[in-house]
Amino acid sequence: MSRLVAELPAPTDEHPVRVGRRRRGRQERLAYLILLPALGTVFVIVTIPFIVVLIQSVTADDGSFLGLRNFTRALANPLFYEALRATGVYALIVLPSEIVLGLGFALLVHRTVRRAGLRATLYVLAVLPLVVPPVAIGVVARLIYAPGYGVLNIILERLGLIHQEIQWLSNPTLAMLSVASVDVWQWTPFVYLVLFAGLQTVPRESVEAAQVDGAGWWTQFRYIELFYLRPLFLLILFFRLADVLRVFDHVYILTGGGPGTTTQLLSLYLYRTEFKFFDTGQAAALAVVVLVSISILYSLITRVLPLERA
Amino acid sequence: MQRITRREFVKRTAVTGAAFTSIPAILAACGTGTSTSNKPSKLTVAAVQGAEDGPLKKVGPMYTAKTGITIEIVEFPYDTLFSKLVTTFQANGSSYDLCMMDDPWMPKFGTMGALQPLDSNFGFTRDSDIPSIVYDVGTWPPPSGPVPPTEQSKAKHLYGITIVGNVEMFMYRKDLATAAPTSWDDVKANAARFNKANFYGYVIRGKATNPASSDSLPILWSFGGDVFDTNWKVKLDSTESIDAITFLTKTLKQYAEPSADNIDAADRDRLIAIGQAFQSTTWPAEVTGVVEAQGSSQVIGKMAYIPIPQGPSGKGIGMMGNWLLGIPKGSHNGSAAADFIKWMLQADNMKTYVQNGGIPTRTSLLNDATLGQTNPYFPALAKSLAAPPNWRPRTDQWNAVETIYGTAVNQAIAGLKTPKDAMMSAAAQIRTTMQGAGYPS
Repeated sequence: MSRLVAELPAPTDEHPVRVGRRRRGRQERLAYLILLPALGTVFVIVTIPFIVVLIQSVTADDGSFLGLRNFTRALANPLFYEALRATGVYALIVLPSEIVLGLGFALLVHRTVRRAGLRATLYVLAVLPLVVPPVAIGVVARLIYAPGYGVLNIILERLGLIHQEIQWLSNPTLAMLSVASVDVWQWTPFVYLVLFAGLQTVPRESVEAAQVDGAGWWTQFRYIELFYLRPLFLLILFFRLADVLRVFDHVYILTGGGPGTTTQLLSLYLYRTEFKFFDTGQAAALAVVVLVSISILYSLITRVLPLERA
Repeated sequence: MQRITRREFVKRTAVTGAAFTSIPAILAACGTGTSTSNKPSKLTVAAVQGAEDGPLKKVGPMYTAKTGITIEIVEFPYDTLFSKLVTTFQANGSSYDLCMMDDPWMPKFGTMGALQPLDSNFGFTRDSDIPSIVYDVGTWPPPSGPVPPTEQSKAKHLYGITIVGNVEMFMYRKDLATAAPTSWDDVKANAARFNKANFYGYVIRGKATNPASSDSLPILWSFGGDVFDTNWKVKLDSTESIDAITFLTKTLKQYAEPSADNIDAADRDRLIAIGQAFQSTTWPAEVTGVVEAQGSSQVIGKMAYIPIPQGPSGKGIGMMGNWLLGIPKGSHNGSAAADFIKWMLQADNMKTYVQNGGIPTRTSLLNDATLGQTNPYFPALAKSLAAPPNWRPRTDQWNAVETIYGTAVNQAIAGLKTPKDAMMSAAAQIRTTMQGAGYPS
């Protein structure tokens, strides 16, 4: 009995609940302290510029308050809607293409390639397009599609498939497909890597059980693997949509937004508004409009592809 | 040893830190007052990357050998240099003692009051061996043509000195044609005559915005059209302007290379240099860089260079694209920077500069037979400068105007719009832009 008493903590005046609260409070403070550098960085590089953009969107160059005039000017400009349409078309081409191709490659490798060495090699190959500077990709793409000396036309001619040069960058439809193809080449590997990683998380027992029950290739994908990949599609859509809005380099190098304004995507239009027209107010208003639109779009996507099901 | 409290320690640390961090600022402030008269150890030049600053880089060490002042050249691509200079000027930064400027940037920098006047501050005067237009293009507000409404009350000063005497000219295959084209009708006739499979009668530099704008403006002016009249009223929808753009995008396009709407200067030079095209407009840097480049061109000695042919207006008007050197207002080494520009302008030094690939502004050098042997376009450039050429409208809105106009010309070349529709649409957009900027368009 005396031993047991000796092992008990010395009695204090404070209530145990109060001691626990204080300890938790200290831990919370420590947690906030650890988070501070990250939050500070976000504040400096995201929040402050965003506030500056917000201020610029409602003021003139001399700082006078304009209300919503910059927004009405930006939204009244027909070039904005042309850029919006071009960006929409671009997104409609690249996003489904990249998801379908990336998913196809991921499934193919997941089901057919068993050797770890080969999988690692494919992994490295898939990473390569992601680390090449977009400007370099634009220059190479120009060597492929350029009128007169483009490699693609030369190959097609030598194969006897065409007898006259295809004007890849001059026909509005082909120009859009050409700039989109560069995006598909660069970003399909990203989709592949994400979905391939997702496929590794599918429980082996579920797949084997389905196979025992006679599930075929499609059934296995449709009812088991797709379930696990669904949140990753959301992730891919988030990232790729944000990227599509930032696409600049290869489009600028390949077509400069032409012919006319057919490949003038939102990023190019914003660049021109700010750095060619020096219309900071309108550029800032456009940036805010894009931010709000993309936030609405993201919330819609989240509803269509609910995360909690996974 | 006396113990101090934590509070006292923090206080003393802060005071010591503040004293140390203010030393460079104090030293810099002391330097500011004296540096304009003292000789700096180096001058920093913000320059455009490419053929335009190459010769400057080569003569820099010669100036260093003579004066002991290092010429440090910080290079940027064209677009980056412009935005870099704008932000530096907005902050009145002292990063650069000299800056290279394309002449269409002059209105922007002049309106901003970003440069030090070279005449009143440093005693620059005009030299009779250098065409007046070379000085005029570096003067703000412009001594001729329409002046932006906000600038009309300002006193005229010289802010930039041309170091690359660029004027758009015309080139054709002299080994094929018996006579030089004197008019755009001759150009059309030659285009039709020499056009055949894989050999284009005319090359259009039609990529959207600046390329299409630069390629079409000499034709527009030679046809009597213009972007603005003398009162800033938009003239792109005038009959003359529409005729000029129709001539380029319909008549000449019949004999032009495919995908002309996606062709920039490098593609044009390639077509000429590999012997696949007969004629086009050109800039001096394209001639030395590609068309007459030993080892890469197949047409060396086969090309002739002439001023822009005449149009229905009776004039052939070239376009200036001079590169100027100016001294930013924020520079603490204004006198030394001015001395460097004066050194560059001396006849002997300009000759050395030309021998290193530079494009001169002195008429005596442009007409120098020895220099002309290696630079076959010099006589045409001398004539073009004497003509005189036009500069692009002197407005700080030029970038916006050029983007709208260059896109419209590109649309007409691509066949997306008729020339008339393209010009009407461009005129309407430019009117809105100019009105928004306070012009009476």
